[in-house]
Amino acid sequence: MRWTRALDRKVVYRFESGLEIRLHNLLAGIGLMLVALILAALAVETGATSTGMTDLLQNIFGSGLSDDQAYALWTVRLPRLLMAFLAGWCVAISGAILQSIARNPLADPGLFGLSQGSMTTILLLMVLAPAAPKILVAGAAMAGGLCVALLLIWLVGGERSSGLAIMLMGIAMETVLSSTNTLMLLYTPSEVSMGLSQWLAGSLFQSSWSLIATFLPAFGLSFAGIFLWGRALSTYDLGNEMAMALGEPLGRSRPLILIFAVFLNAAAVTAVGPLTFLGVLAPHIAGFLSPASGRARLLLSGLVGGILVIGADTVARRLAGDLPLPIGLSLTIIGVPLFILALRLQALSRKHKH
Amino acid sequence: MRKAVPVFLAAMLILLCGFVANLSFGAGVWQFDAFFRAITQFDPTSYEQSVIVYQRMPRAMIAIYAGAMTAVSGMVLQGLIANPLAAPSTLGINAGAAFFVVAGALFFNLGLFAQGAAALAGGVCGFLTCFLVARLAGRVNDPRGLSLILSGALTSMFFAGLTSALLLADPGLRTQFLGWVSGNINHVYFERLGAFWWLGILCLTVLLAIVRPMTLIQLGPEKATSAGVNVRLIYVVALTATVIATASAVAVCGPIGFVGLVVPHMVRPLTGNHFARALPVSALFGASICLIADLIAREAFQPYVLHTGPLLDLLGGLLFVVIVKRFYLSNSVRAST
Repeated sequence: MRWTRALDRKVVYRFESGLEIRLHNLLAGIGLMLVALILAALAVETGATSTGMTDLLQNIFGSGLSDDQAYALWTVRLPRLLMAFLAGWCVAISGAILQSIARNPLADPGLFGLSQGSMTTILLLMVLAPAAPKILVAGAAMAGGLCVALLLIWLVGGERSSGLAIMLMGIAMETVLSSTNTLMLLYTPSEVSMGLSQWLAGSLFQSSWSLIATFLPAFGLSFAGIFLWGRALSTYDLGNEMAMALGEPLGRSRPLILIFAVFLNAAAVTAVGPLTFLGVLAPHIAGFLSPASGRARLLLSGLVGGILVIGADTVARRLAGDLPLPIGLSLTIIGVPLFILALRLQALSRKHKH
Repeated sequence: MRKAVPVFLAAMLILLCGFVANLSFGAGVWQFDAFFRAITQFDPTSYEQSVIVYQRMPRAMIAIYAGAMTAVSGMVLQGLIANPLAAPSTLGINAGAAFFVVAGALFFNLGLFAQGAAALAGGVCGFLTCFLVARLAGRVNDPRGLSLILSGALTSMFFAGLTSALLLADPGLRTQFLGWVSGNINHVYFERLGAFWWLGILCLTVLLAIVRPMTLIQLGPEKATSAGVNVRLIYVVALTATVIATASAVAVCGPIGFVGLVVPHMVRPLTGNHFARALPVSALFGASICLIADLIAREAFQPYVLHTGPLLDLLGGLLFVVIVKRFYLSNSVRAST
């Protein structure tokens, strides 16, 4: 257990077991957590009732709050905040994994239509069996996402196709699925359809402690997945041949990892609806802050994802006031310019290489 | 091509059938009798006849106008930009126009005519944004215009997101525009058609007047120049006319998605690439498709009345998948890149 330098002269902390943590990743992780806390404090203070972090801390240490302050904090803002972070975490990790196994830096569960696929099956379930239990809904979301993923793999056929073409195919499938969703929405009863259309746009309004409780298993599993497959993903980044040469059983691990990515995204879709662009933005920003691979990359991406969702939600609530802007919408509005920027940077770096 | 005339006549016939079917089928029954009487000797006291004249007729007119304009625009765009996925909906024109109309109605309380102007400005803005983004994000070797379509999709998403945000901001506006934004053919928009139809006719005339140079440009700018075509001028005129035609259709009934993408692919095998033959036929086909889609949307899912937009999006999205598969993901492409 000691501080040493890695091959690229970066400071690294090695454990006895061979696990190593790079200093700049560690610092970035701590920094991101701090940012998340600051944003959380801001988010807790945003709203009609005037209360905030200090009230919350006092409340925890015994002093009382007025009823509406307690309601605003404990029933509205905190669940929303936590839900935002958890959903962002899962979608960002799902995006990072997809980027590695598709070897496409633009992969995103929303842009590839996985989220829309999940929603299609959820809607189908609601039309056919409106009283279905929650677990079945989650299963439907999972199945839908997986179907779209397999369809996409079948359609693009092999991994030699260029990244942009796969992207276009994903967008095409997303168009088909989202218009199917719009049509299916008509078959649901009108009081359900109002709530559904809000959820279709991706919203945090329905956050509650019970929703978070149902979401926590997915969050826990995300850590298990990161530690199981995080190292494998860094070999995927090097290309299939290289990964095989490094002893990665591609045929076995790739389907499992894909299912894991779809599962994380499906869980987020079930809870808050689709968060498009997050899966591509968060890993890029994380990589920009602190280049990493494997587990560190996934963890940092997850942190950035959570921060982005909290930030987008807080900014939307501050700017828009009473306007109930769904989080999916504000992410799209923020995400498109950033995504174009990412494309631009990519094009520039290519030009330099040539 | 000798079969041009039969194709044209067949397209006319399809349009006529679509028109008659659209007007006379309603509430699950054919009402030919009422339809012919409504045309020959209209009796305002008859319920059936007044439904046909005051509700279905305006709908059919709007469908014909929107379909024809969007299809012709798609044809011209695909030909001039030389990209099989180019269409008003994929290049951000529709989304831009819709955003400007909603923003104008919200912030400046625009009247009907001003909304038309806003749609024009928005269409141009969306189109230019798309090109700007494509240039910003452009790849070094991008012979098939992939990044143009991608940036069109991004631009559309962005404008659509802004439009939804604006609609959420104002409940009154939302109820007024919600159907319109998803692309809806409805008789209540008839006064909009009355305000804007001349724009489309004007653009169509302009486009028909320059079919020859436009066809030459399809062979490549150099060849067209050597054939005596002022390429730059024709580009500007043709693209302006296209954007205006599309924007006027959007101003009438909202963004009717993928007609502009689908129709050219149906028409081209029948007529070839010459615009003089392809443009009229695609106008007729576009109108027929919109009429039929309107009929399906109205009757197929009784008692629900669908919006025509999502239905056409579904159709167009499927075709989008096929084109991407065949054009961008075929083996020959992979070998060359």
